[in-house]
Amino acid sequence: MRKFTLLLALMLFIGMQVTQAQTRTITGTVTNADDGSTIPGVSVVVKGTTYGTTTDLDGKYSLSIPEDASSLIYSFVGMKTAEMGIGGGNVYNVVMEPEATSIEGVVVTALGISREKKSLGYSTQEIGGDDLNTVKGSSFINNLQGKASGVQVKSSGNMGGSTNIIIRGSNSITGNNQAMFVVDGVPINNDRTNNTGQVSGRAGYDYGSAASDIDPNNIESINVLKGAAATALYGSRAANGVVLITTKKGKKSVGGAKILGVTINSSVTTGFVDKTTFPKYQTNYGAGYGPYYSDGDYPGLEHIYDVNGDGEIDYTVPTTEDASMGQEFDPNLMVFQWDSYDPDNPNYHKATPWVNTPNEPVEFFETPWSYTNNIDIMGGGEKSTFRLSYTNLDQTGIMPNSSLKKNNVLLNGSYDILDNLKVTASANYINTNGKGRNPTGYSDNLLSSFRQWWQTNVDVLQQKDIYDQTGRNVTWNPKSPTNLDPIYWDNPYWARYENYQTDTRSRFLGYAQADWQITDNLSLMGRYSIDTYSELQEERKAVGSVSGELGVGRPDVTSGYTRFDRSFTETNIDFLAKYNKYLGENFNLNALIGTNIRRSTEDQVFASTDGGLIVPGVYALSNSINQMQAPEERYAQIGVNGYFAGVTVGYKNLVYLDGSFRYDQMSTLPPDDWGYPYGAVSGSFVFSSLMEDQSWLQLGKLRLGWATVGNGAPWGSTHDTYSLTGNWGGTALFSLPNNKNNQQLKAERTNSLEAGLEMVFLQNRLGFDFSYYDNQTVDQIIPVAVSYATGYSGKYVNAGTVDNKGLEITLRGTPVVSSDFRWDIILNWARNRNEVVELQEGLENLQLASLQGGVTINARVGEPLGTIQGTDYVYDAYNEDGDPADGANRVVGSDGYYLKSSTSDIILGDINPDWTGGINNAFTYKDWSLSFLIDWQKGGSIFSLDQWYGMATGLYTETDYTNDLGNPVRSPVSDGGGLVLGGVVNTGTEEAPVYETNTTRVEGGNYRVFGYSKNPNKTFVFDASYVKLRELVVSYSIPKAKLSKVWLQGATFSLVGGNLWIISKNLPHADPEASQGAGNVQGWQSGVMPAVRNVGFSVKLQF
Amino acid sequence: MKKIILALIVLIGVSTSCTKNFEDFNKDKKHPTEVPGEFLVANAQRAIADQVASTNVNLNVWKLFAQYWTETTYTDEANYDIVTRTIADYTFRAYYRNILADLKDATNVITAEKPVGDAGAIAKENKLLIIELLNVYCYNRLVDAFGDIPYSEALDIENIHPVYDNATGIYDDLIMKATNAVAGLNAAGGSFGGSDLYFAGDVAMWKKFGNSLIVKMGITLADVSEGKAKAAVEGAYAGAFEMGELCQLVYLGGSNSNPLYQDMIQSGRDDFVPANTVVDLMNNLEDPRRPAYFTLYEGEYVGGVYGESSTFSQYSHVAPEIQEQTYPVTLIDYTEIAFYLAEAAQRGYAVGGSATEYYDKAIMSSFSQWGVEGAADYIAAQPYDAANWKQSLGTQAYIAFYVRGFIGYTSWRRLDYPAMNPAPAPPPGAGGTVPMRFTYPINEQTLNGINYTAAAAAIGGDELKTKIFWDKN
Repeated sequence: MRKFTLLLALMLFIGMQVTQAQTRTITGTVTNADDGSTIPGVSVVVKGTTYGTTTDLDGKYSLSIPEDASSLIYSFVGMKTAEMGIGGGNVYNVVMEPEATSIEGVVVTALGISREKKSLGYSTQEIGGDDLNTVKGSSFINNLQGKASGVQVKSSGNMGGSTNIIIRGSNSITGNNQAMFVVDGVPINNDRTNNTGQVSGRAGYDYGSAASDIDPNNIESINVLKGAAATALYGSRAANGVVLITTKKGKKSVGGAKILGVTINSSVTTGFVDKTTFPKYQTNYGAGYGPYYSDGDYPGLEHIYDVNGDGEIDYTVPTTEDASMGQEFDPNLMVFQWDSYDPDNPNYHKATPWVNTPNEPVEFFETPWSYTNNIDIMGGGEKSTFRLSYTNLDQTGIMPNSSLKKNNVLLNGSYDILDNLKVTASANYINTNGKGRNPTGYSDNLLSSFRQWWQTNVDVLQQKDIYDQTGRNVTWNPKSPTNLDPIYWDNPYWARYENYQTDTRSRFLGYAQADWQITDNLSLMGRYSIDTYSELQEERKAVGSVSGELGVGRPDVTSGYTRFDRSFTETNIDFLAKYNKYLGENFNLNALIGTNIRRSTEDQVFASTDGGLIVPGVYALSNSINQMQAPEERYAQIGVNGYFAGVTVGYKNLVYLDGSFRYDQMSTLPPDDWGYPYGAVSGSFVFSSLMEDQSWLQLGKLRLGWATVGNGAPWGSTHDTYSLTGNWGGTALFSLPNNKNNQQLKAERTNSLEAGLEMVFLQNRLGFDFSYYDNQTVDQIIPVAVSYATGYSGKYVNAGTVDNKGLEITLRGTPVVSSDFRWDIILNWARNRNEVVELQEGLENLQLASLQGGVTINARVGEPLGTIQGTDYVYDAYNEDGDPADGANRVVGSDGYYLKSSTSDIILGDINPDWTGGINNAFTYKDWSLSFLIDWQKGGSIFSLDQWYGMATGLYTETDYTNDLGNPVRSPVSDGGGLVLGGVVNTGTEEAPVYETNTTRVEGGNYRVFGYSKNPNKTFVFDASYVKLRELVVSYSIPKAKLSKVWLQGATFSLVGGNLWIISKNLPHADPEASQGAGNVQGWQSGVMPAVRNVGFSVKLQF
Repeated sequence: MKKIILALIVLIGVSTSCTKNFEDFNKDKKHPTEVPGEFLVANAQRAIADQVASTNVNLNVWKLFAQYWTETTYTDEANYDIVTRTIADYTFRAYYRNILADLKDATNVITAEKPVGDAGAIAKENKLLIIELLNVYCYNRLVDAFGDIPYSEALDIENIHPVYDNATGIYDDLIMKATNAVAGLNAAGGSFGGSDLYFAGDVAMWKKFGNSLIVKMGITLADVSEGKAKAAVEGAYAGAFEMGELCQLVYLGGSNSNPLYQDMIQSGRDDFVPANTVVDLMNNLEDPRRPAYFTLYEGEYVGGVYGESSTFSQYSHVAPEIQEQTYPVTLIDYTEIAFYLAEAAQRGYAVGGSATEYYDKAIMSSFSQWGVEGAADYIAAQPYDAANWKQSLGTQAYIAFYVRGFIGYTSWRRLDYPAMNPAPAPPPGAGGTVPMRFTYPINEQTLNGINYTAAAAAIGGDELKTKIFWDKN
């Protein structure tokens, strides 16, 4: 940011040289309060204007100022902004104090325009690049967690997986709610290409968020533009808020000295599974669903086969049963297990003791390693700057055979062709290669096996041994002792090493820009930018695997190959004219007018083999048993023309007023309606300017903003087309689309109101920023679900209003500061209240997803967006709203099990947190620093399919305890086992119920009582709250004095911990944040990854 | 000032790149906006066949409800849980969305076509009437599954809250429509030709199909409306299928395989075994069709206890022929018609033969279709029993309808034979017995609530145990 300011300041300075009639020149030196050294590159700006310059290599500056200038503002990244009043003198020397984050100063806002922060009438929050580059992972987005108020970041936990980033709540019922990413003014595509099945919890992979291609090593700073007022100028896509990234750039030399800086940044990170986020298994019972398999002493074991041919019928494990509700372990009982049947197994035809395994599934995970190496070369001459950066990331995950590799090369530079004409260009190439990403969702997902369908007698490492030895799919879950084909689950190692996916993405991001300072008041910017990438995702299923959904039409197949080819290109042409003018003594005018021409093309093909592979091991479309089904193709072009204008008027340093207007034409709307206007008005009142005599108050500012932002339709939602469902001999089979499109769509709209108060006290030792907002998105373009009886499943309409109201607080403090020691605290806190105000007339509920387990995620009128609905208990008393009355009891049926509600649309929770926050403490002592970030989420709900099934299958410890009679709950009721469910039973009639306490004892030794079979969905809806120690960083920098003899400019060593400790959570056996990926369907967990505690070591050397 | 103007001119100049390509941008270049009606009809025909054939637990659980098969490990659907997997929703989707909507669109497309010459005009009329018969087939199945359903206001996207029509009225209308279609079909004319997957455009066969449907719907009304039933059956029986005739789709294999193959072989799963209900019944009768229906387990036919866990390897399996890629699915056949006509004769309708004659023909037809010898001996051992005609017809129809889950289940609902086994863990709404219908889709509660509530009240409660209007016993 500093460099950006520098460039801007220089540009303006060059312009100003033309007319200096009403100005005078002042000079000075800026020094560092810490060590008295001079600081080059400090931005010096006349307060309330954009007149400014930067200090040279010796920390000196010279600036022409208007006669009426009252004070100067000195800002520099990493330093507290200083302000100095100007009297009659000509020399003003300033001492600046370091600080973790600047409180006030110049920020980059929409369209890359630098603004004095206090002139803004809306809320923004800055984060320094270093703060995002602590924990080295595959996506810097995860590192935003807890660092900005009102920004809800949720990482899926999948390797290289997507990150949900929602600013100020979800606005759109079915559309995109993710924040927009902009790098140096260029929008960055953040598409997720996870297929629709994967998103709704079917089998698939999480291919991540495309914006994670941005290399954190290139980030100078991030500014989060939260509200519509801040983003109106970016157009429709910015309605969800913008993460505005400014990259590092080269520095210009002043006075002939060449500048060259080389930085090397290396880190290695490893990690280990957080066992509180993985199942805690019961250890007393093995395979089976209950005492179903034989009569006699061991009903949990089969007694059918003579395995070893000795003429005696043997006890065998029911290997088909992927559950642990079976026979109680007994080390004296010898049984034939899965490892008795394959001739290559050491235990072939041998019985082994019936005991719990010493190697539970957690042993399956490997130690992850991540290596990040970056070299950064920057420099500049008098008229030019450049920066070259290369980063290599090489990562392996906790799943065997998983890796992620990234290469990122960036070159940018600028050159002053004329004194008032500068050109800038940037080229960034990113290559990402993933392999063996973890599967997600309900079926065909190893983690759902570990969490839902597993036998506690199976030694997972023994599965590794047999796979390593044979290379065959010798599974713990064969069809029978005589048919060793897998029935539901593969050998986990086979699944990882044979059925792995790969993906690759090559991306180019670049722009060329010219800045022309036409007069000292008027400048013109023109820019062409491009973001283009192609990606290939290949998925495999080896011959001999269990069947799973794969390929076109998602049929269940036992082998196959799919490839998904996609390319995306977006170009933007921007022109922007800016005009600044002093209007007399007290008024300052900034105006701008511009245009944006955006074109994007998305071209994709999804193709697969059909019916399986002919030749094992050959992953090619041609290697298909059946003729390939027609590939799924999509070719979508979108064009947007935007025209905008904005004006800012400042009065003294007291009042600033902002207005902006934009008119967009978008090709996805019907021709008659493709243009739509919108705009924003905001203002700020810096009341501290009236209280300059109050030394305790450094800043006091009130702000108020209103904005409306329009948005077009999704591509292809105006005209109906048919889709080919197959070919029958020579006859093509065509079907209507599921959604009825609509030629009468018009633009949807987000209206936003925001008010805020910012104050800084006690010589910048304490400050806060408080915001209140109310956003309402109306006329949403949504494919509302309709009764199938209409012949469609949905219909595009303009309908629906979603309201988001919220509060945000950012609190900064420096409790202790001395010459050696400093303690800074930043607290971010936000609460958002989200409500679906209305849907289409007559529609009370819109289903967003229907998920395994029978739960749905919904938009329901009067409720938060994203209610989790399903079956509830039946209660003995209800209040007038139809909710269970206070103190109501659950009703148990005559069979002793809970009754379930007859409908599945009962609200069981919602996915939105009540509030989120983060608190960061940073301590510096001499050359040491320590910081730690704790972040938390309160509220929000989550349905655990893992426990819905896993409790039924008897995996978890909760299914094995001593009952009220002092006996194992899994013992037969006839032996004093079982349990009596708490609740009442109706001994009267349906019409005239008489409720009495339930006394019926039910069996605890089969799959019914604990899990999905006999419980409503409600049983498995959990509170998603958590408190986490998110980051812990300890750094040591070798003092400059000690480095002076070597050629090093700086050396820093850091120990970094990420996700070290989940301090508190209410969801057992899993991380409440974990999910199948980003998007609107949250609040449902199936086969999610455990959390990983990361520990890393970094070295940063500057030459 | 000049420079400002210059700058503005540049801006405006760039902006005139304008919107001339915009309409083109929003066009879907990969999918057609118009297709011939034939392709939509062919798609609907395959969709009907797939839905009828399937044993996917999300789509079609009638082979379980009929207790022909039971589930091995995951027994929820065999215990009549249709809510967890929202099976009723999928059923609505399969019929309304994937079949009836395409048929309606095909009607619109074909109606708009200008026929060439008289032959073209006749063919056009025939096509529209064939579509009508397919509509009747689908609505008939929906009514028999749910009771009252959206009908008169269905398939209109402008009305997203279609009312549910009274099932009795729908039946009357379906019989009328089928009757009109049969009357209007010109057997000498052409129709869909090769793109007709069922009869390759043979209009005479479509007439028989229509008459067979009328017989079927007619006999279904026998307990509630003797007059309607008699009129329908007597009017149509002569034009219905005769021995050896049927409507079926013979799958081609490959990507056009029978869904049973996909569900049972291609999936690699061992989810189903024959249920003891049908196996024990046929064992008692020493039924010669058993080898065509089941495999042997240790020299015997052993069915899994209905609704209980059944280890796959410990029971007879579904015969391998039934799991082949090209195994045909039968939509309606002479066996079915002959049983209906036996019942009609028993009830005193004039159907050109006696109950015994039709009973014998039905069994002969069944044996012949399954490729099994010995029908005459079997009939001799299991002669028609007029005194216990419901048991006699019900038992034999049930056995003959094997694999045709919904038809077998409906036959049981109508005639109450043979005895079904209780499921071990039925939901409370099933009333402690085999369900009498499907509950409505959960979607309908949320998306069409007012009409849903009215329909639920009209049929006597949206419960599994509520009987369809024609089910009086």
